[in-house]
Amino acid sequence: MSEKLQQIINKQHKSLSGDDIKIDEVIQLVGFIVGDEEFSVPILSIQEIIKPISWTRVPQTPPYILGVFNLRGSVIPLIDLRSRFGLEMIKHTEETRFIVMKNGDDVAGFVIDRLTEAIRLPKRDVGPAPETISEGESMIDGVGKQADRIITILKVGKLLERNF
Amino acid sequence: MDEFQEILQDFLIESFELIEQLDQDLVELESRPDDLDLLNRIFRVAHTIKGASSFLNFDVLTHLTHHMENLLNMARHGDLVIDADVMDVILESIDLMKALLVRIRDSGADAGLEVGQCVERLDAVANGTPLSSVTETVTVTASETVVAVEPQTDAEEEADYSGMSEAEVEAEIERLIAQRQAEDAAKRANKANSSAPVEEEPDYEGMDDAEVEAEIERLLAKRQAEDAAKRAQKAAETSTAPSVAAPVAAPITSEPMPQSEPIPAPVPVAPAAPAVQPKVEAKPATPVARRAAEPKEEGENRGGGAVEQTIRVDVKRLDHLMNLIGELVLGKNRLIKINDDVEERYEGEAFLEELNQVVSIVSLVTTDLQIAVMKTRMLPIGKVFNKFPRMIRDLSRELNKKIELEITGEETELDKSIVEEIGDPLVHIIRNSCDHGIETPDVRLSSGKEETGTIHLKAYHEGNHIVIQIIDDGKGLDAEMLKLKSIEKGIITEKEAEGMSEKEAFGLIFRPGFSTAAQVTSVSGRGVGMDVVKTNIEKLNGMIDIDSEVGKGTSMKLKIPLTLAIIQALLVGVQEEYYAIPLASVLETVRISKDEIYTVESRSVMRLRDEVLSLVHIGDIFEVERVFDNSEHAYVVVLGLAESKIGLIVDSLVGQEEIVIKSLGEYLKGIEGIAGATIRGDGGVTLIVDVAALMQMAKSVKSTVGQESAEAKGRLGVKNKPSDYKVMIVDDSKTDRTIMRKSLEPMGITLVEATDGIEALNILKQADHTFDAMLIDIEMPRMDGYSLAAEIKKYNKYKNLPLIAVTSRTGKADRMRGVESGMVEYITKPYSSEYLMNVVKRNIKFNEGL
Repeated sequence: MSEKLQQIINKQHKSLSGDDIKIDEVIQLVGFIVGDEEFSVPILSIQEIIKPISWTRVPQTPPYILGVFNLRGSVIPLIDLRSRFGLEMIKHTEETRFIVMKNGDDVAGFVIDRLTEAIRLPKRDVGPAPETISEGESMIDGVGKQADRIITILKVGKLLERNF
Repeated sequence: MDEFQEILQDFLIESFELIEQLDQDLVELESRPDDLDLLNRIFRVAHTIKGASSFLNFDVLTHLTHHMENLLNMARHGDLVIDADVMDVILESIDLMKALLVRIRDSGADAGLEVGQCVERLDAVANGTPLSSVTETVTVTASETVVAVEPQTDAEEEADYSGMSEAEVEAEIERLIAQRQAEDAAKRANKANSSAPVEEEPDYEGMDDAEVEAEIERLLAKRQAEDAAKRAQKAAETSTAPSVAAPVAAPITSEPMPQSEPIPAPVPVAPAAPAVQPKVEAKPATPVARRAAEPKEEGENRGGGAVEQTIRVDVKRLDHLMNLIGELVLGKNRLIKINDDVEERYEGEAFLEELNQVVSIVSLVTTDLQIAVMKTRMLPIGKVFNKFPRMIRDLSRELNKKIELEITGEETELDKSIVEEIGDPLVHIIRNSCDHGIETPDVRLSSGKEETGTIHLKAYHEGNHIVIQIIDDGKGLDAEMLKLKSIEKGIITEKEAEGMSEKEAFGLIFRPGFSTAAQVTSVSGRGVGMDVVKTNIEKLNGMIDIDSEVGKGTSMKLKIPLTLAIIQALLVGVQEEYYAIPLASVLETVRISKDEIYTVESRSVMRLRDEVLSLVHIGDIFEVERVFDNSEHAYVVVLGLAESKIGLIVDSLVGQEEIVIKSLGEYLKGIEGIAGATIRGDGGVTLIVDVAALMQMAKSVKSTVGQESAEAKGRLGVKNKPSDYKVMIVDDSKTDRTIMRKSLEPMGITLVEATDGIEALNILKQADHTFDAMLIDIEMPRMDGYSLAAEIKKYNKYKNLPLIAVTSRTGKADRMRGVESGMVEYITKPYSSEYLMNVVKRNIKFNEGL
């Protein structure tokens, strides 16, 4: 058993070190749909993805903050991305998910319409955010180009920044 | 340099601890000037600090403490009587010493504070010279004392040296310098040897014997080489931490024997440490364990023989432990809830009993564990009380009053975080009592009181609270005068003043900007202090209660919860939401009927016994959408915080629960009215009400309690255009429906039709529309108008929905039935279009302007 384990670990090590150069050039993203558009965030900024659970409304907050929910003992804010992006809120469906994102000590859950897939994107295929958006305000980190589509990469730090 | 920092830290921790005790002792000393124990204790503090500071090259501090020690030593040997003047000088020097220590803590050096004058005064007093002639005598005293004193920088007893010949002194110096050098070497990573002589300069100055200096120079150079070797060797054989601790330990612990002869020079330092008894435990390398030895030492210094079994633990570790306990409490709550559910479902099953037992054991142990951990964070309030005797003494001299302080219950314990917060408010209250409360001696005498005023500081437990009471027998608070002053300062209006009870008037002293003092003194009068008291106490969820009688005195009661992390809370419901209110702030709950609520100047109030209590609905504070609100009764939670009270109207009372306060995190912090959140037994999150903020918010929130129109508006939403109004027409006759529609269409309102009661009810249930009124025919198949009305009124939501009967039945009995079933209007067919329109308009509060 332990030998086998060792082998696996070795193998993983090998693949890791072997891929070193490759990994550097590739960014891994998790894609999801909000409204009609596909967005993505770096996989490392995601703590977990859960199915919708009940939450508690918090007064004196903007409408896009749905409230707080209990994630295994931690009280975490819940933000509706549709509303955050100025879209109309809809009822949660079977495909609705909460993506719990973290940036340092800041953690928050985001409601998205549905998940798409994990995306590996070579760095060279990532372009800067459209220039029309002023630098400081933009929630967009960059735009990824893949065969037939364009994926907006979101700035997790900006999403987790309180702006009210 | 790290080593040096570490020693410095230890030195500072120890010094501040010593000083804390010192103030207490000194004030006591004044009343018992011949208490040798006390004197010895004070002397040792000065001595210890001097010893350590000379090690650490704090020349100024050494210089000062040295002269203090000198003076105290004289007193100890009975050569000097400590009277108030002497005490003033001593206290002044202690203050200076504190200032120096603070400076060292903040900047790492003791430069920048002038001690010369204080030293002069110290010496003057020591020589029995009147203070006025200080300047002439100083030079003499300095040269006299310095020779005798010089070797003392090595923390040895001075008396033995005074009789020595110069040669002997030289020899002694040589020996001691050697010792010092060894110790210095251990402490200081950088070998700034040149600084060693500099450090002792003030003392050497008096010695005109050049030879001695030359000798010292030579020895220093010689030692330097040896030291380097020793240092390397020591570093090799011991880990850094203990070797650092040792040199500090040596001078400190050798002090408790004031009569000791010079201790034989312990040249290698590390071996010296184990020889010192109390420091044996100090050897382990972890900083925590090393510090643990200090309280032990303190205990000994106080003359107690019993060795306390204590250990110092980083507060962070305790906080972490507390967090874990918090999780456990939540788990326990959850377990209890599940147990209840299981009990319901499997009633009578055998395994239930076993489960019950386990659950109750777990919950018992959890509670005990929680209490135990809470206790580890407890500190006696004496820690705070200690500084007051000194403060009172200074204040009474400054204000020319005679004030005595009595302290009881200083052993009462409360949470560390609270101990830290409570100090400032108490300082302000006591200052206030001294300045405004206690009268001057002649006033007191003329009003038939004792010359000396008394302030009684009392602490005791009361349930889950600690009560701190400050009682003075001064002139008391005059409610009328307070009101007048407040009106003068524009804090309240005359009208407000009129309706104020005595207690409310006392509460005025907590308003920012309030002051009764005719002029601003150094003690008080800026109108800030009591505001600070209120803010701090509110922060702790505490309450303030003032009692006062003119001429008799004032009693101020601070009631503070024992701990902050896990609290008892009252859970209340409003609509579908729940909120937790810290039980510490809940005075009582009452159930009242709606007509007990009065409106005064657009604010809701109620009469609670002999008080008028202003009311606010929790829904107005937290923007809860009120879908239904029509029960005859309301629950009022009476909240008390500091000295103010408010009634919070809620829909339901859920019960009392132990909750763990969790922060809402960075993203949602600082939400007004919310102190945090907790996780309930069912896993849901419940928000905790910040009572202090809520009281603030209540002032600006427009109350809607009992205001039907506002309620209706809330229910119906905003109407911007006529089509926002919706009316349902229920009639089985197509013709009748059309007639009604035709009559109402000109208004432009939205009309929905239903052919009978059942259909109407279904439309209502679907809740696709919010109706403003319903026109109901009485005679209908399946469900008639009366039954429909009765059914509709069963829904809380529709209790206030106007139902208008439209019927050809005109009998009085029919009308009566209509009213009984909840109809508000009764229109008999046939009717004119205008009449129908008017009735509808009236009932839906149709706004013609749209």
